[in-house]
Amino acid sequence: MNPRSLIAPRLVAHAHCDIPCGIYDPTAAKVAADTVAKMVEKIAGSTGGEEASRNTFIRSVAVKEEHAQICKKELLILWTDYFKPEHLEKYPKLHDTFWKAAKLCSKNKQNVDAQAAADLQAAVKEIAEIFWATKK
Amino acid sequence: MRPATLLFRVAVAGRSMEPTFEDGDWLLVRQLRRPPRAGELVVATDPREPARLLVKRVRSVTGDRVIVEGDHPDPARSTDSRQFGPIAAAAIVGRPLLRYAPLHRFGLVR
Repeated sequence: MNPRSLIAPRLVAHAHCDIPCGIYDPTAAKVAADTVAKMVEKIAGSTGGEEASRNTFIRSVAVKEEHAQICKKELLILWTDYFKPEHLEKYPKLHDTFWKAAKLCSKNKQNVDAQAAADLQAAVKEIAEIFWATKK
Repeated sequence: MRPATLLFRVAVAGRSMEPTFEDGDWLLVRQLRRPPRAGELVVATDPREPARLLVKRVRSVTGDRVIVEGDHPDPARSTDSRQFGPIAAAAIVGRPLLRYAPLHRFGLVR
């Protein structure tokens, strides 16, 4: 019997929330960032003053706004709840990366800017890569 | 469920007690045979599932009714008396004394 199993607790004390704690995933932020980029594309492509087109335009703006906010929320959950000081030691740029990504969410709400949308996708991708690296 | 020995060990599962306890901490717990006090860490049976143990902090005690909460600053990250209401004082089985693993955070807990 190895020493570890001798001292290991046989009981578990749960410190849970019903929303399973410890299940973090950057996928939600990625989907939201991709949606923002898609909406920027749709907004730019929507021409014409007929009602159907105006409706699509307005919906695209609303969805862009909503998903930029979702993206920010998901990023903040990762930033404040998942990442720990030891991660920061290994990835010193972590805070800066998150801060800039969160700001890009706001920028995408304020503007219709394909470059800002692409920058947000890239920032989320970078965070996802760090996330998955910490899971190895 | 009530452990048979005066001292027993538990492994923390989940993050609702951060920053006090982290997921995977190993704790030495002493059975509690007196009424709990506000501010104390406790291990208690889950009122919704008596075979399961919880680790929380006592917020307040009113007679037999004990309000327990997680330490996590975000209430959404802890399921506790804010959802399931007060627990009975008798549901409290012990009080964590010591974290013995991981070793770099070994020490008394409070």
